[in-house]
This record gives sequence, C-alpha cells and structure tokens, in this order.
Amino acid sequence: MRAVRLSFLQMLACLGRDRMLAVACAAPVLAGGLFRFGIPFLEAELTEWLSVPAIIAPYYRLIDVFFGMLSPAMFCFASAMVSLEEADERTAAYLFVTPLGRRGYLAARLGVPGAAAFLVTLVLLPAFRLTAFSAAALLLLAAAGALQGVIVALLILTVSSNKLEGMAVAKLSMLPVFGAAVPFFIEEDVQYVLFWLPSYWMGRAAWGDELLSMVPAFALSGVWIWVLLRMYLRKKINGS
Amino acid sequence: MIQVSNLSFSYTRQPFISGMNFSVSAGEIFGFLGPSGAGKSTLQKILIGMLGTYQGSAVVNGIECKKRTKAFYEEIGVDFEFSTMYEKLTARENLRFFASLYEKKPRPMETLLRMAGLEQDGDKRVAQYSKGMKSRLNFIKALLHDPLLLCLDEPTSGLDPTNSRMMKDMILAEKSRGKTILLTTHNMQDAAELCDRVAFIVGGKICALDSPHNLIMAKGAATVTYTWVEEDGEHSADCPLGRLSSDGRLKGLIAGNRLQSIHSSEPTLNDIFMEITGRTLL
Repeated sequence: MRAVRLSFLQMLACLGRDRMLAVACAAPVLAGGLFRFGIPFLEAELTEWLSVPAIIAPYYRLIDVFFGMLSPAMFCFASAMVSLEEADERTAAYLFVTPLGRRGYLAARLGVPGAAAFLVTLVLLPAFRLTAFSAAALLLLAAAGALQGVIVALLILTVSSNKLEGMAVAKLSMLPVFGAAVPFFIEEDVQYVLFWLPSYWMGRAAWGDELLSMVPAFALSGVWIWVLLRMYLRKKINGS
Repeated sequence: MIQVSNLSFSYTRQPFISGMNFSVSAGEIFGFLGPSGAGKSTLQKILIGMLGTYQGSAVVNGIECKKRTKAFYEEIGVDFEFSTMYEKLTARENLRFFASLYEKKPRPMETLLRMAGLEQDGDKRVAQYSKGMKSRLNFIKALLHDPLLLCLDEPTSGLDPTNSRMMKDMILAEKSRGKTILLTTHNMQDAAELCDRVAFIVGGKICALDSPHNLIMAKGAATVTYTWVEEDGEHSADCPLGRLSSDGRLKGLIAGNRLQSIHSSEPTLNDIFMEITGRTLL
C-alpha cells in the first residue's frame, strides 16, 4: 500500500509538471462554474429573446449527468497520459519489477485516480448541479461516473502506444460518454441499441428518475473494465 | 540462488523455450548468450517474474517466480537494456523515488553516484544525460535496495570503450560484494571477461553450459602463427601450440633468427559459439 501511495504521489507530481494535464484536472471546476452559472443565464436570455417557456431547462438533468462524468473522465485522462509517458520512458516496465508490481501500478494509475475522482465528484456535483439530487442518487452517479473515468483511461491505454497517440485517442474515448443523451432525445425502443454503454443507463436513470437503471450501468462498467484490463495487460506483457 | 527445472514457455502454440534446466549459485556471474530472438530476454522475464505462464519450475531466492510476492522484488535488482528513468526528473530525484518503493534501507545515494562517476551531474535532468551516463545511472538504480540478485540486460550495449570499461568494473565490484549476477548479452568478449559460467541459448534451448575457459579449452586448441621472409616475399604458417617442439621449420627459423613475427591465437568464445550452434550472434 505504501508503494501504491508513493507511486500515486509521483503521478500527481508528474501532473503538476505538465501544464496541459494540470489544466485538464482543473477543467471540471471551470466547467462546473460555467454550467452552474452560465447555462441558467443563457437559458434566461434565450427564452426571453425567443419568447418560449424553456429551451435548455428540460435537459438540466442531462447536463448534471455529463458533469458527473466530466471530473472522473478528465482526471483519469490525465492519469492515462502519465501512464503513456511512463510507457514512452519505460519507467512503467521498471515499476513492474519493484515491490509496486503490476497490480500496484494499476492501482496507482487507475484505482486510486478513480477513487479520487469519485470523491471529487461528490464535492463538485452538489456545488455545481442544476437540478436536485437525493443523497443516494448523488452517490450512485459519482460512483458510476468514476467507473466511466476508469473506462476512458483504459480505452486510451489499450488503443494507444505512446503519449502522442493517446492525445488523439482521448477524443474518441470520450464518445461512449454521450450514450447518456440518448434517453433524452430518442423515446422509441430504438434507443436500446446503445444498451451496452454504461452511460446510456446513467442517462435512463436520470431521465426517468429510476435509480434501478444504475444497476446495469455498474454491471456493464464492470464488464468493460474487465475486458479492457485484460487487453491492456496482454499488450503490456507482449510489449514490455 | 536460481534453480530452473524443465522450464518451457510459449507466446503462441509454438514452444518458445523448452526443457531448460540449470542452476546458478550465490555469488556467481552467469551469462545468457545467444542471438536476437533466441529466448534470452524471455528467460530473464520469467526469472524476474514478468511472465508467469510458464511450465516447469523457476525458483529464484527460494521463491517460485509465478508465485512471487512483493518481497520477491526486495532482493532483485533489474537493469534493462534501455533507460527506465523519468526523463524530466534529475538523477537524484529518480533515485530517491525508486528507493522509496522498497522496504529495505537503501544504499547511500551519494556513494552510488560517486561510484558511477555521476556525483557532479546528480542534479541534472536525466533528459540531458548522454547514453553512457544513462546506462550508469540505470545500473546504480538497480543497486539502490542492495539486492542479492542483479539481472543485467545488455549492460554494455551501445557504450563507448570508456563507458563500457566503467560498467564492467562496476559489475565486477558488485560480484566482489557477493552479488549473484545474471547477464544477458550477445557480446562474447564481455561474457568471457565477466562470467563465471555461460549458457549458449539458441531456439529456446540451452546448447552448452560451462565456464568460458572450459568451453574454449574443450572445443579448440590454441595455435601459433609465425611469419618469415624468403627471397620471393613474406610467408606464414600455423602450428598447434601442443606440437611446437616438433615443427622443424619453426625450429630452423628460430635457430637462424629469421622469424619476422610469432603469436598465439586461442579460439574466442564467439568461435566456440559458432562451432556449437552453427550460428553467429547477430
């Protein structure tokens, strides 16, 4: 545990030295302020200008869900970038043969950042939310968001082999997050086509206030993480 | 220190390493020699616990490699062929971080830096280091936790003669401190100079295993080559070292003070490797 803690702190130090990644970690706070104050202001201006009762307001819940996934996604993206830099510099291969080991390394680069993202989301979401959440809903959304962040990090690590590729892949790896929007815009059964995305179930839970929909979100997240982790480890074993 | 029995490993359905048996005693420098793709690095990966899906047994310091725990790495120091440092950190910052991962009390960092001739460059970022400096830093990183076993992968690869000499001296200094050292290389000169015993590995199998001296002596005799000048130009001839006294021409040349040059040439480990395996190391 000590080695995991030290390795995580080392990752934070790496984030601190890289301005782009440091900004990525701070982005949820900036985005939260924009969502919390900018969107209601924009809604008021637009509805007055267009003389309609609501434009963005029906989607405030969706914006909250997106925000719940934003902090973990950004933090785990930054963590994945540090991992890719460590792969470029081959420090990751060395860390595998220290008491940190492969499991410890994964804990320090995926597990602890995911847990930290969960805690950060628990703080940021109540501060910047646009709609009311029960404590249970808040906890479940933060936890599912953290798992989504780990999936984003694993997608980046599995598909790309260096930091440069990782930057390109990062944009694509955020696409599964948009499954949350589907229940808000597609009412027909065709929406089930995206049932395999955990974010789709998070969106359903938010859209219909059905906390039970979070169960498939967690189960699918587990499957995604398990499959991606296997692919990542296979890649590391063959490549290191 | 190391006991390998019936070791087999495969990346695909084809066996990559098959039926390997050998042991390495404490305090020994043991070399794996072979061409690229022979299985040297895979064998080393198994012994340092990076590949756990092997058949047979590979026991290092009393622990079966596939059942390794964190404690396993407290007594193993690995020096990969490539630099494994955080390039944006200084040498001292790197060493401090890696030393912190071990439970054991680290060896004094300044002593190690001095030993590697890097004490003046300890506060430089590793990115500013030359290849030779990075290699030396990489090596002392493997010594930080004072492990019993050192696994060195091509430690002199790509180094100029000065850096190569420094590296070899550091390896010999660790041997004199009682370390067991596994050396993976395709540099026969280094192997002959450093190793107590070597294993020739080709096609995932051990073709020969003995001390460099014994391998050389068992497979080939030294020859003496001498030259002399006649009216029609310079001539040369060879004679096995063991039959010098029966070479009448040589005796005549010595008696007449007509020898131009004379030198003995023992077969090298490379010659022996080629003779045994039918392959070169490149």
